Amino acid sequence: MNTKGNWILILALSLISAPLVIMYGFQLIDSISRPAPGGIIPQEWELTNWRFLWTSIDSARPSIWRVTFNTFVFASSTALLVCAFSITAAYALSRLNFSARRFFLAGLIMLHAFPTITLIIAIFIVLQFLGLYDSLMGVILVKAALELPFGIWIMKGFYDSVPWEIEMAGVQDGASRFRVWRELILPQVKPGLSALLIFSFLAGWSEFILPLVLAPGADAQVLATYMNAVIADDTRPDYGLFKAIGMFYALPVIAVYLLFQKRLMNIYGGGTKG
Amino acid sequence: MTRQTLLGLGFLSPALLAVVMFFLLPVVLTVVFAFTNMSTSTGILGGAYQISESDLRRLPAAGVSDEAVTLLEGAGYAVQPETLALFAAEFGEDRASELEKLHGGATFDDRRAMERALKELRRNPLRKVRDRKTAAELFRVSILGQRFATEAEFQTAIADLGVPDPDRAALTTAAYTGWTFTTQNFELLWKLPATWRYALNTVLYVVLTLGFNVSFGLFLALSTFYLPTRTAQTFRAIWFLPRILPPVLYVLMWQWLTWDQGFISAMMRPFGIEPINWMRHTATHAWIFIVLINGCVGASLGMILFSSSLRAIPETQLFAAQVDGANRWQQARYVLLPQMRWPILFITSYQTLSLLTSFEYILLATDGGPGRQTEVWALAAYHTALSNYGGNLEYGLGAAYALGLVIIGILLSALYLRFFNFRELVAKPRIEQ
Amino acid sequence: MIKMTCATALIAATAAMPVLAEDITITVWAGGSNEGDHYRIENIEIAADLLSREAAIHGEELNITVEGKRDFDGWDGFKQAVTLGAEANNAPHIVVTSHLDIAPWASAGYIVPVEDYVDLDAWPLNNIYSNLMDIAAYDGVQWGVPQDAESRPFFYWKDTFTQLGYTDADMAEMSARVEAGEYTLRDMLADAKKAVDMGLVEEGYGFYPRVSNGPDYAQFYQSFGGELTDPETGKLLFDRTAMTEMYQFFVDAVEAGVTRKNHIGTEWDQWYSEVANGKAAFWHGGTWHYGRYTGKEGNEDFFGTIGFTLIPAGNDAGRANTVTHPLVYLLTDQEDDRAEEIAAQLVAIASEPRLNTLHAIKSSHLAIGKAESGLDLYAGDRWASEATEVLLPHANAQPNHPSYGAFSEAMFKGLEAAWTGIQTPEEAVAEVEAQLTATLGDELIIR
Repeated sequence: MNTKGNWILILALSLISAPLVIMYGFQLIDSISRPAPGGIIPQEWELTNWRFLWTSIDSARPSIWRVTFNTFVFASSTALLVCAFSITAAYALSRLNFSARRFFLAGLIMLHAFPTITLIIAIFIVLQFLGLYDSLMGVILVKAALELPFGIWIMKGFYDSVPWEIEMAGVQDGASRFRVWRELILPQVKPGLSALLIFSFLAGWSEFILPLVLAPGADAQVLATYMNAVIADDTRPDYGLFKAIGMFYALPVIAVYLLFQKRLMNIYGGGTKG
Repeated sequence: MTRQTLLGLGFLSPALLAVVMFFLLPVVLTVVFAFTNMSTSTGILGGAYQISESDLRRLPAAGVSDEAVTLLEGAGYAVQPETLALFAAEFGEDRASELEKLHGGATFDDRRAMERALKELRRNPLRKVRDRKTAAELFRVSILGQRFATEAEFQTAIADLGVPDPDRAALTTAAYTGWTFTTQNFELLWKLPATWRYALNTVLYVVLTLGFNVSFGLFLALSTFYLPTRTAQTFRAIWFLPRILPPVLYVLMWQWLTWDQGFISAMMRPFGIEPINWMRHTATHAWIFIVLINGCVGASLGMILFSSSLRAIPETQLFAAQVDGANRWQQARYVLLPQMRWPILFITSYQTLSLLTSFEYILLATDGGPGRQTEVWALAAYHTALSNYGGNLEYGLGAAYALGLVIIGILLSALYLRFFNFRELVAKPRIEQ
Repeated sequence: MIKMTCATALIAATAAMPVLAEDITITVWAGGSNEGDHYRIENIEIAADLLSREAAIHGEELNITVEGKRDFDGWDGFKQAVTLGAEANNAPHIVVTSHLDIAPWASAGYIVPVEDYVDLDAWPLNNIYSNLMDIAAYDGVQWGVPQDAESRPFFYWKDTFTQLGYTDADMAEMSARVEAGEYTLRDMLADAKKAVDMGLVEEGYGFYPRVSNGPDYAQFYQSFGGELTDPETGKLLFDRTAMTEMYQFFVDAVEAGVTRKNHIGTEWDQWYSEVANGKAAFWHGGTWHYGRYTGKEGNEDFFGTIGFTLIPAGNDAGRANTVTHPLVYLLTDQEDDRAEEIAAQLVAIASEPRLNTLHAIKSSHLAIGKAESGLDLYAGDRWASEATEVLLPHANAQPNHPSYGAFSEAMFKGLEAAWTGIQTPEEAVAEVEAQLTATLGDELIIR
């Protein structure tokens, strides 16, 4: 039905999306080619921009593989922590009737309003007292804690949409609330959980300011700080190189997106009601 | 405590612990810091007691008498009977007597001069640098530049020096190098014209970006709603990527698009338009790109939420409208939009809060430039507390900026809670009914 | 840790220790350092080798491992890392940083004076230019040792200059004329305008300044008669007239079409390639730019194409000048005083003329001491020798004052506001003055 209308819509959407598509396209093209000086049309196809993979682009920088490993550890640990803490906390807030529940729920909403990054000096002091400053562990804990309100909120939405009848049935059969949660409810919120897992992984993968300030040592460098340091180093600005590093950095993101597209789009599945 | 409460708290506790440690505690500390003059110079974890040369001229204003200042000012190193005795005990009588012959009664301004004097010992020279350093310290009579870890040590030192009793308290206060409590951060924020400009910038930023996010998210959701699944998916993917791409990379792409030798300039050249940096040319250029950069990230949130609410609308309503001869615009206007009220309100309130406190994309894109025209409140907090070419980072003032945001955030979210009918949100779990 | 300016007790304690193999790790962090600046760290490694050999002669086994790091996220990232590291008691032993950090870091107790450990009257520290040593001192205490010297000259493109009607003889006299105040910034502006009008350079390329904040802009303040500190009290000085005239100068340059209105924030990459290849008539930069112009940007005839002078005076009240902004080696406060002592000795050894010359020539910086000009490596480098001769005698540094950072930042932001036409010079100066009065209070003198 209405194919003409569709074409107009597609045309409009394409026009609006053009800048983004151009940026994505040249992101790929420039990483494997050399443009004419001062121009944008690729002259020659070459892989020299990807040299950072097999040689060190500057003797002072850690190997890209080491940095990638750090980033992976950082992102996956953050994601696991966020998920582990969110599934229990969100269940309590959604389904368990206990006295302080209202208070916690209001607090959770309030937390959204906090300027997390501006707390960074205070966070530093806390890490310092725990002896976790300048360690990957410390940044993981902080990032996970800062992502928690979002995670709990999302998971609460998913729990809310699980029909009460399932739980009622379990309780009436004589199972404890804990067993009901583990065996009946958890399987119901799996889609939400996997969406949250992916989302927090991506959030960790992208994080820039926290590792920059809280873990400046070479042992805890992540791709975001690595890439920004390469860009900031003004003796070698080289968009081809930047883009190749950027491509390398974005590949896992794109892969995750292609694999889990549906689930990611479902992240707000439980939170749509006002 | 009931079993329910125990179970509830038990389920909450891991999350609670993490949030309290790394979220709430820092918030409380930030509130405290906002009332201090903490900076690089004062250190974060406490200070020591020290009077330096440049402190001397500040002392009269701090209520220290001139007499005490003169006492402190006295020459740093003196060869006198007391110091010579110390020297003799450590390095031998014969050296002490030779030094007395050479410099008895002399005073030296700094340690370097004292060391030079010690080098003149001929009979049994102090050959090693570290010995001369140790020896020179024995002749020190002034406390200028000396660092005392505790108040008690400093008190003893100034008492030994003979500082009059009434001056000691003021002197100790002036000598403290750590941070102290003060309300001057807020007075400063109030007085500085820049503060108000940043506030205005923040309002501009939030309103414009929010407008873009909501209208664009709505447009994307509505337009992809009508398209075949595959096409719709492609467009959604294009608009979803900014949200998950690392900010460092995403902003780099925009920078490539806009710089003098970038894409826009190259495209415009055939039309005789001089290449300019499209992102930083004027404040207006910067604002347009700030809104676009943040907007493209934010629009996808609206797009996803709106899309799923649209799918929840029963198709029969649309068919009914179609039968009535409504075109798409009319369908959207009269059938779909009215049912989107809640999601739109939700996105608006949710994003107002997150935009208020976000600055990462601005930091990477314009860093508040040109001329601080795109400096928003949260970025000002970051710049004040963590980025300063000259090296003195003002943590206290930065915390005061952050506190302003915290207060606005709490007020807004309280407002939203009322508005969104908190009671319904926290409706009692039905299982206990 | 308890800090004392004397290390008496611990020195005595370490001296009494039995001779054992001693293993120590010294970390060095260098800010603002690129590939070309690797000798900032490597010289410490060489020094460690020398010190171990000296110890071996005494029959002591001293194994020093040097760990260097310079891949920071700009100066901001470096300074955050050092200050927070110092608070966490794991600061690197040695930092290479701007001398401007001395005041705040000394006050916070992050650093210890180098004079606690080394004899300033002995080789090689007594060879270092005394004005450079002063820049590394604060409050009468020698906190650090200069690591390199540089200065920030004014450049002009010789071809353009010839076409403006200047002869080779005129060019040979340029530095002298600038120094004497006969060729001022206003003359330069007129020449730049002529160059644009004649089509020798494109519009906006007559005068092509630095694209971001830096010590360079203090030079223009001084060109118009501004002074940064009051010599009597050591307080910072805000000279309204000089500041207004300096802002006005840049506004005039924009109005005349010789400087772009949106010049600030231009990519450095683009900037370097343009000035190194004659796209601009006049610009200013740093002595270390020589390496970039002749290296990456491929200018093979530097002396044939580019002339350099001091920053010209702006008016009668001002003077021709240049700012030197040396980096310094600083020692951070450590729990282990032995580490501080070793670090101090390494810094002293790394200041040997031969070692420092490696850095100076490799990175196109200037010598820190007299003896370096006697070395073939240094004397054989035309740029190093000429720049030392023309610029260094007139170089002054920015003050080591805890609030100078705030001053410099505010000055630049005001300039940016005037330059981009957001405020008039008068409005901008008034706002900067209001801000500085509020933040610096008694530490600022307004003139």
